[in-house]
Amino acid sequence: MYDFLIFTVTIAGIYAIMALGLNVLAGYSGLLNFGHIAFAGIGAYATGIAHARGWPVLVGIPLGMIAAMILGVAMARMGRRLAADYWGIATLAVAEILRTVALNEDALTGGANGIAGIPGLFESMPGQWGQFYFTVLVLALVVLIAILSVRLGDGRFGRALRLMREQPALAACMGYDLLKLKTHALMCGGAITALAGSLYAHYFNFAGTEFMLAAETFVLWTMVMIGGIGRTGGVILGVVLVQAVYAFVPFLRDMLGFGSDVAGALRLGLIGTLLLLCLMWRREGLLPEKLRNPA
Amino acid sequence: MLQFLVDALLRTADLALITLGLSMLYGLIKFPNIAHVQYAMCGAFLAYALNSIGLPLVVALVLASVLTGVLTLGVQLLVFDRLLKSGPAIAMIGSLAVSMVLVACVLGLAGSFPHMFSMPYTEPLVFGGARISKTQLWFVATTVVLLALFVLLLFHTQIGRAMRALACNPALADASGLNARRITNGVTLISGMLAGLGGSMLALSTGAHVNLGYDLLLPVFAAAILGGLGNPLGAVAGALLIALTETTVTNINFGPLFGEYLLFLPVSYISAASFLILLLALLFKPYGLFDREVRRV
Amino acid sequence: MKKRNFLKLAAGTLLVSGIFSTAWAQDTISIGAVLPLTGPSATVGEDIRRGIELGVEHVNANGGVLGKKLNVIIEDSGNNPTSALTAARKLATVDKVPAVMGEYSSSITLPMAQYLVKENVVHLNIGSSSNKIRELGPSAFNIIGLEENGNRFAAKDVYDLGHRNIALIAPNNAYGQGVAHGFKEEFEKLGGKVTAQVLYTGGQSTYRRELQQLARANPDAFLYTAYGHESAVINREGKELGLRNVPWYAYIMSMSVSDTPAEIAEGQIGMELGSPTGELGKKYEEAFKAKHSEGFKTAFNGYGYDGVLLMAAAIEKGKGTSPAEIVAGLKAAGAEGFTGVTGEIKFDDEGQRIDPPYDRLKYEGGKLVLR
Repeated sequence: MYDFLIFTVTIAGIYAIMALGLNVLAGYSGLLNFGHIAFAGIGAYATGIAHARGWPVLVGIPLGMIAAMILGVAMARMGRRLAADYWGIATLAVAEILRTVALNEDALTGGANGIAGIPGLFESMPGQWGQFYFTVLVLALVVLIAILSVRLGDGRFGRALRLMREQPALAACMGYDLLKLKTHALMCGGAITALAGSLYAHYFNFAGTEFMLAAETFVLWTMVMIGGIGRTGGVILGVVLVQAVYAFVPFLRDMLGFGSDVAGALRLGLIGTLLLLCLMWRREGLLPEKLRNPA
Repeated sequence: MLQFLVDALLRTADLALITLGLSMLYGLIKFPNIAHVQYAMCGAFLAYALNSIGLPLVVALVLASVLTGVLTLGVQLLVFDRLLKSGPAIAMIGSLAVSMVLVACVLGLAGSFPHMFSMPYTEPLVFGGARISKTQLWFVATTVVLLALFVLLLFHTQIGRAMRALACNPALADASGLNARRITNGVTLISGMLAGLGGSMLALSTGAHVNLGYDLLLPVFAAAILGGLGNPLGAVAGALLIALTETTVTNINFGPLFGEYLLFLPVSYISAASFLILLLALLFKPYGLFDREVRRV
Repeated sequence: MKKRNFLKLAAGTLLVSGIFSTAWAQDTISIGAVLPLTGPSATVGEDIRRGIELGVEHVNANGGVLGKKLNVIIEDSGNNPTSALTAARKLATVDKVPAVMGEYSSSITLPMAQYLVKENVVHLNIGSSSNKIRELGPSAFNIIGLEENGNRFAAKDVYDLGHRNIALIAPNNAYGQGVAHGFKEEFEKLGGKVTAQVLYTGGQSTYRRELQQLARANPDAFLYTAYGHESAVINREGKELGLRNVPWYAYIMSMSVSDTPAEIAEGQIGMELGSPTGELGKKYEEAFKAKHSEGFKTAFNGYGYDGVLLMAAAIEKGKGTSPAEIVAGLKAAGAEGFTGVTGEIKFDDEGQRIDPPYDRLKYEGGKLVLR
């Protein structure tokens, strides 16, 4: 039981890192990236491919982050004048294309079977200690990235992003290169998320295409929006809430004895309803973004 | 060759009604409604449910499409009108939430296993080497008829003119005395009915399953954007183009190029092809190939 | 006030269930099973579950295991590896079972079994046929015929029926790739040819395009294998496209026609894993029909049943419920030969079943019959 709690907490941690990555894009910059999971998929597959090719598996992490940054640059340059919501659809299309490629290119990604047998980190540790250290690592990373995220948000870059989000014309007038800001935001968010993707692959010892379904991006979006878009603490809260629902429903199922379909429906429905309620009544999320008041 | 055309036509029919509904509604409410394809899924399940309690098939289809229209209108009034006040981005995320709730409801009530309509198997019609089943023929015929009716409505009636005016310039239309509210609600209703009908007729061949909506999301959006949002004929033309691309891409035999007897592109790359078309459309021709109606993209 | 009452209730429930489960746990021995209870293979998953259920009833009616009741905790794999891994993790860490049976699809069984072997939990394969199962490790066992055997059987069968040019369609995963690759090899050894081959991606609503690619090869016969609902679509579209003018041969027939309407499946031929046979098989079939009026839906339920009985025998022989004791027990049972409803089960050095049975079938009059 204790083990399963550790499992839930570790997964929550990994998703928290991904959500923090999305927060840089969606929260600070107001970029509607509906293909965000592609970054995580790149991270996971980078680790998997490194393993499959016999390279030292830790190489996968920086490799994934670099590949994600390249994708970020491409996404930023794509359709510079597209309105936010249409750019969102374009990113959705990009993610789906990548997923289709991953599904078909057996030689590269193992196709529909994915890449199995990826070694976890700390494998050499005896017994349960490996698990424990991994969880500690994940949580430490969450704290680190959260702190960085707050510093980023409060710093010059963060303020520039917010300006771009709220008043792009003004930002352009003030001399900010909007494209460069967008690109940097995407690179940043993408790299963070790719790191989480690699961690995911190590944890499950597996990298597969189900991970790259658009449904996963939607889960991330829900986490970010419910908690408080643009605010680090809010994002973490959102992750905890969504993950609680996710982990709680199977136990509810065991207690009340309904089928897996209903369990899946319940999870999805609860999260969708939460998101909807949030949007209708508390658009900024449970912990709204703290904007500095003009003195 | 004929089979190839038949296949392209069938695929167009799969997409056309839903794309049409989406395109028309877009023109008025001006945000990408991801939940639109889920209305089609709901329509499919409603038709299945009505049919299985004993209603004759045609009645079930019509009733399901009406109910879907009502559902669409309901969601629009309760949810999207409110969210739109905060902007199209929020409305889009809201449509995502609505999608999730709709899928969850259907999943919980009907399960994840696809439900096939209980129709007796009939031999397909054969002509000139091409085969088409009776159901599919009805589907194509219905689509064509509905499309014709819709074009008539849009271009040769008062109401149609009002709809086009509203899509073009809402403020002016409102000022000149058109009841914007009523027209928008009417279009929403029709759009939902079209989606519901499209989804249920599609389900006649493939069964009603939970992923029906999601599978259609990107092709339908691609078709709608290609055709130009708000342009009904464009929507169908977009659907036709997507269908043609999908069918062509998998029928070309690359074998001779590589010295093998038969070599085809794996079928799952087709979906990548339509997404690629969507991307290219958004990047280079965001107002659609026909570039006529109002700018918003 | 309300909050305090709720907390009391929650604490009370936890306490009671804790006591209850420990008390209960002392009287039962639990093992785990992961099955596809949702998704395209749900029909097979449910069928296997029924076999397992009957197996548990049978064991408990005959004195249980080591004097205690046997219990199989069944989890849904959701037909994807990540859910299966999570289910396996729950079984291993929360329920702490010493052994897990399952899954069904090779591309799910393989990563799951690798995890179980790593966690030192015994794995028994009751549904997958990929050759890679052989390589899982010393604590993994298997009672199903692997592809190497199935492909040889099918290739010979197809060749004996007189076909020389085959078009093949199979799922694009570990299972389908194994079948496609292996069948081609065996068939070409005999002198036939696989002129066209398509690996389809699951979850699509139509397979016309794949079928039309195959039709261009003008084969003597189609060889196909597909999961439940996907297969229903393929079969229906195959008929609609007029491809039934040549024979359709189903590999693992009961799976491939499990959800196909009778009028469409009529006339197909195929091969299948050995169904329940002999005295034990007959008794099993009667008990199954008594409980589930529709009878066997696929050939896989017998392996679920045998899996449970074999596990019980292994625990008895190994005289304990730790993974090491179960491994010893399975080896012992396999060495002397265990008679299940699917025939005699003997293991080779790698824990794989020796000479697994296969049947030749055809679909006639609304059901599968031997030919």
